[in-house]
Amino acid sequence: MSASLLGLQGEFLACLHNLPHNFAALVSDAGPLSRQRRLQIYHHAYRARLVEVMQDVFERTWAYLGDDAFEACARGFIDAHPARDRTLNDFGGAFPAWLAERFPDDGEVAEIAMIDVMMRRAFDGADAVPLRIGELAARPPGDWATLGFAFHPTMAMAPAVFNAASLWDALEQGRAPPGAARLPDPLTLLVWRRDFRPHFRTIDSMEAAAIDHLCAGKSFARTGEMLAAGYPQSDVAAWLGGRLRQWLDEELLVGWCDLESGRGD
Amino acid sequence: MNRDRTSLSTPSPGFGLGLRTAHYADFLAAPQRADWLEIISENFFGEGGKPLAVLERVRADYPLVMHGVALSIGSADGLDDGYLRQLGRLAARVQPLWISDHLCWTGLQGRNSHDLLPLPYTEEALRLVVGHIRQVQDILGRRFVIENVSSYLTYRSSDMTEWAFLRQVCEEADCLLLLDVNNIYVSSVNHGFDPLTYLQHIPRERVQQIHLAGHSRAHDGGEHLIDTHDHAVAEPVWALYAAACRHLGQVATMIERDDRIPPLPALLAEVDRARQFSHQALSACADLVPA
Repeated sequence: MSASLLGLQGEFLACLHNLPHNFAALVSDAGPLSRQRRLQIYHHAYRARLVEVMQDVFERTWAYLGDDAFEACARGFIDAHPARDRTLNDFGGAFPAWLAERFPDDGEVAEIAMIDVMMRRAFDGADAVPLRIGELAARPPGDWATLGFAFHPTMAMAPAVFNAASLWDALEQGRAPPGAARLPDPLTLLVWRRDFRPHFRTIDSMEAAAIDHLCAGKSFARTGEMLAAGYPQSDVAAWLGGRLRQWLDEELLVGWCDLESGRGD
Repeated sequence: MNRDRTSLSTPSPGFGLGLRTAHYADFLAAPQRADWLEIISENFFGEGGKPLAVLERVRADYPLVMHGVALSIGSADGLDDGYLRQLGRLAARVQPLWISDHLCWTGLQGRNSHDLLPLPYTEEALRLVVGHIRQVQDILGRRFVIENVSSYLTYRSSDMTEWAFLRQVCEEADCLLLLDVNNIYVSSVNHGFDPLTYLQHIPRERVQQIHLAGHSRAHDGGEHLIDTHDHAVAEPVWALYAAACRHLGQVATMIERDDRIPPLPALLAEVDRARQFSHQALSACADLVPA
């Protein structure tokens, strides 16, 4: 391949990414602008473009931190994580983890950013037709022993230790956010898309365990047995029936499968 | 004049606009005064959701063209197979009139600038770009359309002009050209060349499309221009477009706006202005032809 072109492009990227470089020596000094000014234009544009992308993806985090703090964080993240993907579609995926390190005593910041990025991923994730309750109603009672469910392909979960969900809601609605606080018990953030709109809610450990079991290919009946072992104080059958109805109403379920015969929808 | 232009390109569908999310509702609600629309390819690489649903509806009402920003045709380490597969999948879905990207490079060896970086105008870069365009054309099964970029630096190693490089790329790769008139103007100011000289040397039989966009003056009060696409098309660019119309005849032209996006009527007024310039140029040419 072309060594000199390869070398030139490597030097240019090193300049943009603040790595040691000798790019200026490759640039012409002809024309109305100084060589240094020409490099600065590209150096500035690289950061400005990525900050703009992050303002778009992390809109609530931006609102929570304010303009100056957010821009400082975005620029710090950009310098720590030079762009690697071919497109900008996934840029900033590691920002929540970076914020968790940057704000070790303010864990809600990283969690707000996590909601931002999960909502963005759900926005243009794969489509699926929701399962309707009528499709299940006609099933004989015995079938439920081997019945499994598929969740919407945009469904994703993440740990929730702080009241970031309440903060995010307030920021979205333009209200003053409540004070940040650690939750009495850790919850799980559940994100998915319904029609064209990403949604989220927090769920307790029992619901998260039920979804984990079903996503791992366990039948509805087996999931109930596992939950009964883990939560002996609960009326698991009634609780799980209620969740099934809720998941159908929320369009979280998109298919069923008879795990014994492989038959499904 | 334009009457001598034996075109290799698809006949012009008229005057169009870049489709942006701010105007989705307008295009879905009622027919608009745009003959065709250009989409940014990468904005529709997702697997589902609203972007693809809107695309399906808009596609039913307007001819579409696909315009990419991340192919990086000039990367010295080769093309990205995964990206090309995504582009091919979208093309199969959209069935665009044509597909374009920029004569530039954006990244190398897993590092990216997300910017349209200029190439050195050398034999080495020419050979590389021509090979890559042929590869893309083989994969997509059609002539590719390549756009001139605006730039803020040139390289000591360049040994030909941008327009000579562009012409050779188009001819040797047998591809088509998306002529960005604003980019010519911006680069002419930043590098101190005559934009009309650039215009006169392009392979006019290969011009498939024209972009018109706005630019900004440097924030630091300098004399250079930045290709920001956040303003209306500037008067010197309209003047250069008029010259392009006289030189090229009828070419599909669109307004490209990416930032500080105004309500749709403001952009459609610019589309109308492009129509007027084109019609005036064609009328002037017709007047010169003996009855």
